[in-house]
Amino acid sequence: MFEKSLYDLIKGLRGHKGGENEYIQSSLRECKAEIKTQDMDKKATALLKLIYLEMFGYDMSWASFHVLEVMSSAKYLQKRVGYLGAVQSFRPDTEVLMLATNLLKKDIVTSSIPNMSLPLITLPHVITPSLAMSLLPDILSRLSHSSPVVRKKTIVCLYRLALVYPEALKLAWPKIKDHLMDDQEDGSVTTAAINVVCELGWRRPHDFLPLAPRFFELLVDSGNNWMAIKIIKLFATLTPLEPRLTRKLLRPLTNIIQTTSAMSLLYECINGIIQGGILDGEDNLQERDEVATLCVGKLRGMIVMDSDPNLKYVALLALNRIVATHPTLVSMQQDVIMDCLDDADVSIRLQALELAVGMVSSDTLQPVVNRLLNQLQQASAPAAELVDTPQTSESPKVPTLWPNDYQIEVVHRILDLCSQNNYSEIVDFEWYVAVLVQLVGLLPPSESEDDWSHWKEQEAMPNLRMNTALRIGTEIRNVAVRVKGVRMEATRAAESLIFVDNRSTFFPSGSTIGDGVLGPIAWVVGEYAEYLLSPNRTLLSLIDISNASLPSTTLPLFLQAIPKVFVQVSQTSQPGDTWKSEMSLLLARVVEFLEGLAAHPDLDVQERAIEFLEVLRLAAESLTSDTQEVPFLLASVIPELFTGLELNPVATSAQSKVVLPDSLRLEEPFSHDLPGLFRNLDSPSPHESKSWETSEFYHLPELSSPNKQSRDLAPVDMQPHASYQNFTVAPVDSSTAVQRRMLERRERFKDDPFYIAPSGDSSGTSTPFHEALNTSNGEVLDIDSIPIVDLKLGDELSHVDFDRQRNRRPPVSKLVVAGDETFETSNSLADTSRPKGGDDHPTSKRSLLQVDSSSLGNLSLGNGPSPQISADEGDTEMARAMQQVEEVRLRMQRASERIQLEGTPAEGTLVKKKKKTKRHVASDRAVEDPTESAIGKKKKRKKKSQESEKPPGEN
Amino acid sequence: MINAVLVFNNNGQPRLTKFYTQLDTQTQQSLIAQIYRLVAQRPASACNFLPLPPLLSQGASSSASGPSDAPTQITYRTYATLSFIMISTSTESPLALIDLIQVFVEALDRMFENVCELDLIFGYETLHAVLGEMIVGGVVVETNIEKIIAAVRAQEGSLGKKKAVQAASTSLGRGALPGLGAWR
Repeated sequence: MFEKSLYDLIKGLRGHKGGENEYIQSSLRECKAEIKTQDMDKKATALLKLIYLEMFGYDMSWASFHVLEVMSSAKYLQKRVGYLGAVQSFRPDTEVLMLATNLLKKDIVTSSIPNMSLPLITLPHVITPSLAMSLLPDILSRLSHSSPVVRKKTIVCLYRLALVYPEALKLAWPKIKDHLMDDQEDGSVTTAAINVVCELGWRRPHDFLPLAPRFFELLVDSGNNWMAIKIIKLFATLTPLEPRLTRKLLRPLTNIIQTTSAMSLLYECINGIIQGGILDGEDNLQERDEVATLCVGKLRGMIVMDSDPNLKYVALLALNRIVATHPTLVSMQQDVIMDCLDDADVSIRLQALELAVGMVSSDTLQPVVNRLLNQLQQASAPAAELVDTPQTSESPKVPTLWPNDYQIEVVHRILDLCSQNNYSEIVDFEWYVAVLVQLVGLLPPSESEDDWSHWKEQEAMPNLRMNTALRIGTEIRNVAVRVKGVRMEATRAAESLIFVDNRSTFFPSGSTIGDGVLGPIAWVVGEYAEYLLSPNRTLLSLIDISNASLPSTTLPLFLQAIPKVFVQVSQTSQPGDTWKSEMSLLLARVVEFLEGLAAHPDLDVQERAIEFLEVLRLAAESLTSDTQEVPFLLASVIPELFTGLELNPVATSAQSKVVLPDSLRLEEPFSHDLPGLFRNLDSPSPHESKSWETSEFYHLPELSSPNKQSRDLAPVDMQPHASYQNFTVAPVDSSTAVQRRMLERRERFKDDPFYIAPSGDSSGTSTPFHEALNTSNGEVLDIDSIPIVDLKLGDELSHVDFDRQRNRRPPVSKLVVAGDETFETSNSLADTSRPKGGDDHPTSKRSLLQVDSSSLGNLSLGNGPSPQISADEGDTEMARAMQQVEEVRLRMQRASERIQLEGTPAEGTLVKKKKKTKRHVASDRAVEDPTESAIGKKKKRKKKSQESEKPPGEN
Repeated sequence: MINAVLVFNNNGQPRLTKFYTQLDTQTQQSLIAQIYRLVAQRPASACNFLPLPPLLSQGASSSASGPSDAPTQITYRTYATLSFIMISTSTESPLALIDLIQVFVEALDRMFENVCELDLIFGYETLHAVLGEMIVGGVVVETNIEKIIAAVRAQEGSLGKKKAVQAASTSLGRGALPGLGAWR
């Protein structure tokens, strides 16, 4: 067979453009054969090719045993290929590694440095607790190796060992500490140790506090920026524990900030000061403020001076962290931050946007929002419009087309900005209403169909990513409900949006924006119909035939609004002759619209449509009378349906604060023996003979009628088919028997709460269930004793909730904003018991790529006598491990034999194209020599029986 | 720590994948694809930080600025036809990571003498060896180019160089490689 090198493979790949997959498959087949040869050169080359193909997603997990073989090669370069194969292809479920324990031990203590490095850099990828335990002594010994290259790798390797086997850290830490404290130690080793400590630091900061002086020394004296960055990162986690540290650190850090030319170090210093909480304390205020000013100044410099987008980005990132504690300092940098809102880079814009939300005050809100609105307008406007406005020198860059998701993000941020703290920052609500109307027009048209939609599905944040359109509609509704002062404006804005002739401009055809906005808006025009400019026109828009195609979530809101607006129309126009005919006409149109929805597939829509349809038909009928006056139904009854108490906003948490009456038991089961009850119910019962005929009628459509006939006419002789017998067993029984069984059954279920006795017999007394309840409660349920909490809905405006406001001044707004209504219970229990969503378990779901270091958190380092694994424990562990190794080795051996005999698919499986390769497999099998495959099968069966003999505990 | 180092070309074809946690091949591939999509969208003038792709943002609940085990930052840098990506947790400094990528590329440049994409394709093992001298188990062990080069040379003897030269000197002349990007 022709033997290819990796070079040939790559070259061949190029020569087979278009047919790459076939080429790869054939190469994989070759590799499969080559890797089984005894020739180590061939084996290693084949493995190298497999590793290369694995990079493109071609599975090579089947070759793990061969990886081990190559790892054990005597030649270094081959060995390296083997170790690389282990790094790239071993997965948590790869078991063969246990077989390699001895090999790894041997390689770790070898004399050649490159050889020794291989296990050290490979182990972090493949380490398991048992492997860590057996290799620990050997790895520890490498800490005192003469070469710094080995020492630094060993330190890191030990860190990864400790992640899966925390005990390792107890033994390793004293030694690592020695290296860290040693002034004579090689710089690389110290840096590696610092890097490891930095990883461990945030998990167990207390253990590293004693080392602070040494870190300090390294920070000041080393002159190594890489290490300095890490030390500062480390200090940021230590300072919260030791306030005295901040005082010591302040000077050197300021010194670095003022002198260093390395931007990364400068940035990390500032970041460290922020994250370490150095700016947060109370004492020494003046110095702190100086530092804060210095930091913010430097950050401003990073944004302004350099055109480097990276610096801009990280500076904004840092400002975002400061803004919580020093909002005034940050808002002084407003000008540059605002410029970042127009930056060409989306990442920078988003950061600036976030910052804007954090620092905005009522003075700056309007300019910021207007600026963002401008941006949105530019994004949605065609390029021609930009030519008209060349004077906007602020943004000389050519505005690129922003992705829709950025535009949506901006809309969300605008809404966040304005609605934060219950609209406390908004002075001019009329302006806000106008903004909302503008936003509707600026929404990117195809929100639902762009290619980000499948990303959103994965982003499981439905609340945050609520449909933008719906959110705008909801905002308009919120303003209308909460701010009485602009209710008229809000209603008129809603009105303008709901007009049919306006809709085409706001909602381009084919987009789904309208669906979200229209629902809440329809509610507003209905609820506050008295403010409408033209109720008549609004009503006609509401009953426009095109509305019938709206989604079933929106339609009920329309339906609810129609009668409200109709009442308004009927009341505003002058009663008289024409009035009557006008109203009849209008009613006829409304009724026509409703009739169209009376058969709507959505039940909610259907129900509402039919209800109002009937009411309005009555109204239409009442108009046909000859009297001149307004019919009572129209003048009073229908309006009464919708007037009454005004609706106020209620906090979503209010319901959970309603105190449950003590006697209400929601947790207690009705019966403790549910399964038993159901079992009894399952048995066929003659009691059902009452319903027998009906059930028979429904369930045995074909048979029942002749059956019934046969029973009725001639039960004995006329039974034409034997099969009917089965069905006629019960009817053949005499009626007395039925009666008897019925009684039996009733007796049996007398105390069964699920069984309601026929009313005829129990003569109207309470059901057994009721009785059971009564007896268990001890007394008759007293409904009056359930406390009723006064909801105080009638009160005018309830308190405004300013709790969440930070150190902000009270709202400047002249208008009163109604806060959410809720209960002011002193009962804090009600608050805490409220589920907080996912916040309670932030780490419940592990992120991809995450290395779990949590096990280190509960390990105690240092002080006590350095714990040794007791000899006994170690021995038994070792014995167990050896046993496992032996088992796995056996299994692997069998598996490899099986592969040879059975001729498993010669080609590998491309993971991302599973189906395709599977077909290949099938076809390959087909061409196999039948006799061989027969043998294979036989052997396989043998294997199976062997396998089944294995002790069950093996897995 | 650094969770993964990736290198792919302008067409999204991987040139180096190194995950410091064990991850099944399929997830690796989809992660690469997602990151490639993010990188491909960005103009050259944009900053070198990527938002988290969907696969990673799922588990990252860290709204807090405090450190955690979950990867929170992706730093990338593009050189000619190749993009170098580092996925890391918050214990790494973003600006330092950009420098680290620079060190990596410079080291490769020293190893291959005027490194180009083709060198990395053929010098696949050397590429891994260089990375292995810089990052072990997700922790940076060396940033000094001299030391990195010395260690890799010690491993390979004269071999690494020879391979690259051989690759360049055979029928596929290094200078004349149209459509290099479409290579696998």
